[in-house]
Amino acid sequence: MSELRDTSFQTGPFSRLVSSRTLSRLDLNLLGTAILIAAIGSVLVFSATAEGKDAQLFGKQLVWIAVGIVAMLIFTFIDYRLLLDIALPLWIVGILLLGWLLVWGQETAKVKSWIHLGAFQFQPSEFVKIFTVLLVAKHFDSHSEPYLTLRSMLTLGGIVGLPVVMIVVQPDFGTAATFVPVAFAAVFLGGIRPRFWIIGTVIALLAAPVIWFGFLQPYQKERVMIFVDPQRDPHGSGYQVMQSKIAIGSGGITGKGFREGTQAKLEYLPARHTDFIFAVLGEEWGFVGVLVMLTLYLFFITSALRIAKSARDRAGTFLAVCLTSFFIFHILINVGMQIGLLPTTGIPLPLVSYGGSSMLMFFIATGLILNVDYRKFVNVG
Amino acid sequence: MKVYREDEKTLQGRIDVLFWAVVAAFIVLASSFWYVQVVQAEKYRDLSDANALRDVTVRAQRGLILDRKGRVLAENQPSHTLVLMRNELSQSTRRDETHLPRLVRFVSTVLGLNEAEVTRRIEKGRATPVNLPLTIAEDLSIPQVASIEAGKLTFPALSVESTASRNYPNATIAAHVLGYMGEASAEELKRRPELRMGDLVGRRGVELVYDTELRGKDGAKFIVVDSHGRVKEEYDKLSREPQRGQNIYLTIDLDLQRKAEQYFMENEMVGSCVVLDPRNGEVLALVSSPAYDPNIYSKRFTSTVWKTILSNPFRIEVNRAIQGLYSPGSVFKIVMGMAGLELGVIDESTQFHCAGSESFYGRRFRCWNKNGHGSVNLEEAIKVSCDVFFYNLGAKLGVNRIADYSHLLTFGEQTTIDLEGEKPGLVPSESWARDKQKRKWYPSETISVAIGQGPLLVTPLQVANMMAAIANGGSVYQPHVLHQRQVNDAAGKPQTLTVAPRLLHKIHLDPQALSAVRTGLWRVVNEAGGTGAKARVEGIDVAGKTGTVQVVAQEGWVRADDLPFKFRDHAWFASYAPKENAELVVVIFVEHGGHGGSDAAPLARILYETVFADRLHGGGGRITSPQARATAPQPVGPPPGTAR
Repeated sequence: MSELRDTSFQTGPFSRLVSSRTLSRLDLNLLGTAILIAAIGSVLVFSATAEGKDAQLFGKQLVWIAVGIVAMLIFTFIDYRLLLDIALPLWIVGILLLGWLLVWGQETAKVKSWIHLGAFQFQPSEFVKIFTVLLVAKHFDSHSEPYLTLRSMLTLGGIVGLPVVMIVVQPDFGTAATFVPVAFAAVFLGGIRPRFWIIGTVIALLAAPVIWFGFLQPYQKERVMIFVDPQRDPHGSGYQVMQSKIAIGSGGITGKGFREGTQAKLEYLPARHTDFIFAVLGEEWGFVGVLVMLTLYLFFITSALRIAKSARDRAGTFLAVCLTSFFIFHILINVGMQIGLLPTTGIPLPLVSYGGSSMLMFFIATGLILNVDYRKFVNVG
Repeated sequence: MKVYREDEKTLQGRIDVLFWAVVAAFIVLASSFWYVQVVQAEKYRDLSDANALRDVTVRAQRGLILDRKGRVLAENQPSHTLVLMRNELSQSTRRDETHLPRLVRFVSTVLGLNEAEVTRRIEKGRATPVNLPLTIAEDLSIPQVASIEAGKLTFPALSVESTASRNYPNATIAAHVLGYMGEASAEELKRRPELRMGDLVGRRGVELVYDTELRGKDGAKFIVVDSHGRVKEEYDKLSREPQRGQNIYLTIDLDLQRKAEQYFMENEMVGSCVVLDPRNGEVLALVSSPAYDPNIYSKRFTSTVWKTILSNPFRIEVNRAIQGLYSPGSVFKIVMGMAGLELGVIDESTQFHCAGSESFYGRRFRCWNKNGHGSVNLEEAIKVSCDVFFYNLGAKLGVNRIADYSHLLTFGEQTTIDLEGEKPGLVPSESWARDKQKRKWYPSETISVAIGQGPLLVTPLQVANMMAAIANGGSVYQPHVLHQRQVNDAAGKPQTLTVAPRLLHKIHLDPQALSAVRTGLWRVVNEAGGTGAKARVEGIDVAGKTGTVQVVAQEGWVRADDLPFKFRDHAWFASYAPKENAELVVVIFVEHGGHGGSDAAPLARILYETVFADRLHGGGGRITSPQARATAPQPVGPPPGTAR
């Protein structure tokens, strides 16, 4: 993996366009890929919604992208060390916000519906994701053992577990699940001794029935059951996946062309501009379009992980990896469900699905990864 | 400048592992898409070209509602429903702009509806997924079905589904208990994901309360159709059989229910009747008159029909037994008597002198009998319904103690019967006046409350529940209309679940106090000069109390253009029988009915004679004899599980 260690950002496709010193220090591969992906996404949103009552969504999406880019730049230029210094207070504020929601916010804390239409208002849980990652990174900054200690694992469990529990109580399992990659990435990167693997596996096996019988709502159980046995609900997600597969499959190798997708446009495909937007890509741009998109995502992840490796401190590495894990998780789950490889969930496609909250969150995450890169040399302001 | 630490190499190695894991996952994704988009492309292109995957709901049959003896109260009738496939429609309208207007004209001609109504029904389905059939009309006649089928070549979006519609063979009988069906609202569709647009759901009564049990689970199948809507093949893989809903047996006895309703109808009375089994809280009859015909309500009707229903001055959809709020009048004297004895304010021999009126707190309160009743004790006071006696008792008790005792007998709160929309009524107290009215409670108001007037408001069901507690010696049961449910166990075998009586609470009643009140009630019906004489049944010890109330406040009944009628008094008759070991409570309320004794009591007699018929004509003797009791058949139907 020596090519990943290569920090010669000067050779990327976007580097030559910018001459200023500040910008030349930014990883333009990552920045450019993020904006390119968002641009392709907005084209897909346009195609999916151009006809009918959702036509105004394209304009809104452009606004969200603009807001996202601004947020990204802000989070690039505030030194992440500074953010780490105030990570604990930020995290506490986030927890208090969640607590406030639980007590007072019944009306806004609604359970995500089957078809995720993209919440226009920003949910505190999105902020808390960022705060949690910051605190995880801060924790590992001072931790230099090759493997996680029990103490360190418990601390990690508290940092990630508390917000997860509070979001589960809301109850919003979908959002709570998006914290899983953070915990996973942190634990994996921190290192686990074999005996902890065994203990962890045992705990998971014991916890599964408790969660199943104690915590899961009937509709959530139903969703798991439907994944195992799609015949249970052919009208609901079974139908959705079926239509999604028809859309993607009928796209063939080269696709039907821009705005020529019939499956998606005729409203056969629910949530076509949000969770199932990848199916629109598959139908209109075919296998070629799918490959291009997957390549872009892979390039993005590669760049981000390279930044993680070249970070100047452990905190920077953990920050970048945890944030990248968000992208990886969302991409795999979302793309996987398009053709029924994974169960249908309300997980949006990063930087592409319509929706302000996730757009903002992923741009901020991108900004923080750029931030780690920008300050990889100790002498940078 | 970079400072490498000891563990940096390890960290880098782990990131590499993560990277390669991601690459592997992406390769899996890419090859899956390759399989779908390259290998299977043709199959999906065919499906896409035909736009042909249609999903059809196979509706579950709704459970029956039967009375306690297994007689059908609500059943299903085969019927044909016209549905519109909106995904088909949008295809057709894209090809031809005049398609929709032509379709609307066609449908309105076939159904005999105006075009605006047809358009409204199509518009209503806009928010629903296009792949689901949208119901346009139900109960098509055979010629209509034929016309639609013939028009299918021109209008492939139209299709006829065979469904079942709800039928109530007894029309208005028990209508308020059964409730009716209606189209699921947008809010319900959101809340209950199992519902589809256009589904009928329980709107009121048992149909609503036990909707989930009755509903069952709809099945589904996928069919592939060609561009003319003809079925090419079925996707069995995704099909699911429907599960039929549970049959529900009510505690209602159809005979009693019908007799009570007929009495109201024949005498053109407005009001309510509740018949309870005091031993377990089962509701044998629950009448609210006038009643609606659930058969009419359960159809999708045009807005004109709705307007007719809403403009009915009698507000027929109000269930007066649980939603009508009335002053209890003299019936409340039973509660007063029990409270006075239990709290030790009076005993059975305490006498008050009635001179026709008496002053309390500087105001003169009159007895209904201007000449006065002389010195009376509780038993006599109940019999002659002496107001002055209860004025004195009320003054001694005070409103707060009256309120506390009333709450024990489920006044001022819901009895929690398994019907929707039950009103709690109102029991005033000092804290009520302070918190709700922002005023002081005047002691003189207590005097009005003592004879069941004032702000006090009760439902007929609450009165029946109170009578049941007097009748059974202090057990307050949760009244209920559900008797049994037929469910399938895990093995698919039908099983009958019977509802167990639920004791809300038990009030301690002193046997002597109870006996004094019961004897007073018995004398009301059975002694010369008693106001309830018309409820007398030879051979059965009926105990009861009449009540006459000036119109004070009520819900659900306004008829401003009929003032004399409006100000006519309401009539109560609250009773149970037999006096000891009671088996039946009958409470009747007649709005603007004049006197409880003359208008309400005769119905009680009819109902007691019906229930105790075997004892009356068989032995002819008093049923209090142990032998007669032992051989007497159960008055309330067969034991659980024998229903057909």
